[in-house]
Amino acid sequence: MGLTRRAVLVAGAVGGAAALLSPAGVRASDDAAEIVKQLTGRRALESDRLRLVMPAEFPSGYTVPMEIHVDSPMTDADHVRYIRVFAPHNPLIEVARFNFVPQRSLARVSTRIRLAAPQDVIAVAELSDDTLLMAKTWVDVATNGCA
Amino acid sequence: MTTPAPRVIVPSSAAKGEVVQVKTIISHQMETGLRQDSQGEVIPRKIINKFVCRYGGVEVFSAEFFEAISANPYLEFHLYATESGLMEFAWEEDGGEIYRLEHQLAVA
Repeated sequence: MGLTRRAVLVAGAVGGAAALLSPAGVRASDDAAEIVKQLTGRRALESDRLRLVMPAEFPSGYTVPMEIHVDSPMTDADHVRYIRVFAPHNPLIEVARFNFVPQRSLARVSTRIRLAAPQDVIAVAELSDDTLLMAKTWVDVATNGCA
Repeated sequence: MTTPAPRVIVPSSAAKGEVVQVKTIISHQMETGLRQDSQGEVIPRKIINKFVCRYGGVEVFSAEFFEAISANPYLEFHLYATESGLMEFAWEEDGGEIYRLEHQLAVA
C-alpha cells in the first residue's frame, strides 16, 4: 500500500510535538520540513540549488507541468543521486523518484503530475555527500487530478 | 486499453561531451486505483511504474513513477554524449509488461 495521506497525518500527530526542531539558518517552514522528516526519516535543508518549477496556478489537476533542476557538476565526487517528489495533499503522497548517474545524466527532469488539491509540492534531492536538499512550491489547481 | 505506444525524440548525432536532450512519452491511461466504475467498483491500479534509459549498455537515467504521474507520462531528461552507441528505453508496467524503444546515437 502506497504512502497514503492518512498514514502521514497519523505519524505526524504522534511524533509531531517531539520532532519540531528548526536548526538556525534553515528557511523551510516547519510544515514542509516536518513532512520530509516523516517521509524520509531524515532532515533536509531548504536550498535554492534545488529548483522546483511549477505554475503557481493551473486549470487542470490532471497534467500539471513540473521541472526540477539541481545545478550540479555531476562528477563522481560531486553529484545528485536522486530526486524524490511528494504531494502531501494527494491521497497517495509519493509522486516520483528520478535517479541520476555522474558523468552520464544531468540532474534535471521534466514531467507532468496529478494534484488532488491546491498544495505545496515538495522535492527532495540526495547529494553524493549524503546531504538532503529540499524545495517546495505552491500550486493552485482548479480540478482534482486524482479523481 | 490499446497497446501503450512509446515515442522518443532525441538527436541522431552529437559532439562528444555535448548535452543531449531526450524527450519521451508513452500513451498509457495510468489508472491510479482511486477511481470507481459506474457500478461503484474500484478500478484497479495499473500504471507504468518504472522508466530506464541505458546508453552503451550502461544505465544512465531512471525514474520510478507512482500514481500521481499523469496519464500518457511525459518525461524529459538530459544526457552527456559520451560515445557512439545504442540508447535503450524501457517502460515497465504493473504486472511486468515492458515496452521498449531503441535509438542509435552517433558521437563525433
